[in-house]
Amino acid sequence: MDAGRHPKIKVLAYSEVEAVDGAVGSFRVTVRKKARFVREDLCNSCAECAKVCPIIVPDGYQMGLSSRKAIYIPFPQAVPSAYLIDASACLGNNPIACGKCYDVCEKKCIEFDMQDEILEFPVGAIIVATGMDVYDPTEIEEYGYARFSNVITSMEFERLICAGGPTEGHFVRPSDLQRPRRIGFIQCVGSRSEKYGSPYCSNICCMNTIKDTLLLADHYPDTESRVFYMDIRAFGKGFEDLFTRSKAAGVRYVRGIPGEILEDPATGNLRVRVENTLTGELEEHEFDLVVLSVGVTPRQDSAVIQRLLTLSKTGDGFFMEAHPKLKPVDAPTRGIYFAGCSESPKDIKDSVTQAGAAASHAQILLNAGQITLDAVVPRILEEACKKCGRCAQVCPFHAITWEKGQVAKVVAAACTGCGCCAAECPFDAITMTHFTDEQLKAQIDAILRDHAREKLITFACNWCSYAGGDTAGTARLQFPAHARLIRTMCSARISEELILYAFEQGAPMVLVSGCHFADCHYINANRQTVLRVERVWDKLEKLGIRPERLQLEWISAAEGQKFAEVMRALEPLRAAVTPQEIDHAMKALAEERHRKEAKERAAREKAAAPASS
Amino acid sequence: MEETRPFRCLRCGHEFTAVYKKDGALVERTCPKCRSNSIRLKKDKPAPAAGPSQPAR
Repeated sequence: MDAGRHPKIKVLAYSEVEAVDGAVGSFRVTVRKKARFVREDLCNSCAECAKVCPIIVPDGYQMGLSSRKAIYIPFPQAVPSAYLIDASACLGNNPIACGKCYDVCEKKCIEFDMQDEILEFPVGAIIVATGMDVYDPTEIEEYGYARFSNVITSMEFERLICAGGPTEGHFVRPSDLQRPRRIGFIQCVGSRSEKYGSPYCSNICCMNTIKDTLLLADHYPDTESRVFYMDIRAFGKGFEDLFTRSKAAGVRYVRGIPGEILEDPATGNLRVRVENTLTGELEEHEFDLVVLSVGVTPRQDSAVIQRLLTLSKTGDGFFMEAHPKLKPVDAPTRGIYFAGCSESPKDIKDSVTQAGAAASHAQILLNAGQITLDAVVPRILEEACKKCGRCAQVCPFHAITWEKGQVAKVVAAACTGCGCCAAECPFDAITMTHFTDEQLKAQIDAILRDHAREKLITFACNWCSYAGGDTAGTARLQFPAHARLIRTMCSARISEELILYAFEQGAPMVLVSGCHFADCHYINANRQTVLRVERVWDKLEKLGIRPERLQLEWISAAEGQKFAEVMRALEPLRAAVTPQEIDHAMKALAEERHRKEAKERAAREKAAAPASS
Repeated sequence: MEETRPFRCLRCGHEFTAVYKKDGALVERTCPKCRSNSIRLKKDKPAPAAGPSQPAR
């Protein structure tokens, strides 16, 4: 409500983001403001329209436990406090002449011909607070959520016990509208499960159930509550105290997740079978109502926001932060921040904390008025660019703009310097400042100058595998000393040309190493590494060079042990490469390079010929 | 939607079938035998080898 009244905050309710262009400090956001068919500047929520509306549909806000009209306010504290018409349910005034709301509205707020508005805003920073969905337990047949009316979810429980809910806070069970006196809560429904829902802990369910049991004990002291759990995770401030109070209030906690719920059709009561893992005994409990404590899931439509903002997701489907410890509210894309459950399941306190941090980060950015960029950015050599657009295609941050027939352009503010574009450019038209081909080749030359046969050229990404090597070193782990590391910002910077150059200069083996997929600091740039290495394997095989001489490994900064193991495992492979193999590779690759250069020269001469004649 | 393919480990030579893409995106691959990530997609027709002698394995 405060946000809605704030002079510097514009709330666009009932709207969807359609496009986001630009980069940090100068985003341009296109928003579709959907037609409400009610003038929100005139509507005073008198509710006369809803009284006469003949259409009744399930109320989504009340979890379908009550109904609403086709003209409605989504929820009591909605901002703006104005009605809107559900166009999919409304009869409208044509062809069936209803229009009763129109007739009854004294302020003439109803506009059946209202259209969606497309709005554009320049913004400097974006905070993603798109929330979460809750798990639908229908698929768990054993619990009969779709079959037994007295099996409800924790969200439905919230509505039933809320004073603003469908029963105005009078707690009743759905089958007979009688007050339930024996209530069972089943934890981890759709959480911490490989079979149903998600393998992660949803963070909020334990404390939500403890709160619910205390609420019941307070409002209805004669209620008997039992909670079936795996572990109670009460790690926040004051949470253990709440848990203790719940137990002291008579709530019984049974360690074990029920395998089945059965219904007595005559009474609607439910029998829950569970193995109590503390006693090892099979127990059966009877309840009037069972509450499934459902887990948190990422928003179903989060892929849309992911695409619009060039974000990355973790394996569980939530948005990935730039760094889990050091940048927990920043997205990998500059100028974008996270708040709440869009990033991971979290409770209100953590969501508010993160929202405050995100707002502060955005404010710091906007107040500074300028940003400092890393010097590691690509430079496009216009005369060499063949306008193919490959660089724009592979850039994980959409930091390269390209139009057909045009030279690609780098948006430096959006670029994070992974170097994928430079590695992918087939015409050497992109040079990566501070990580140029010449600089990297010079390092290869220096490594192979002496005792080349004994060297393992290791390309290591700055964030993970290079740091993994450091971890191995500082932990004094023992491994063969043949590896020579060449640091790049991302494994995606390692071009086919650099790998082949190392072999041509006499390297017996090359290792390309980077972050694990989930840890990639450049959203998903290391997927390009995989595709490229696969191409090089094919090429090597075609030239009669064993593909095994090129290895690929994902090593995180913490995996010093893995770094040492990889080095130990690769040593016999390196030692097995014969001088004949190395000579053959050097010769074959030199010939291949000469062929390519001759072809390029011929193409250049052909292109220049009409101009000179 | 998972897409499985045959693979060969370029460290230990182990051949196996694993998920290649999930929901259209590449997945990280690891050899179930030696834990290496040098996992090469097996092609139906291997490229013709034009090289010198191969070392005994």
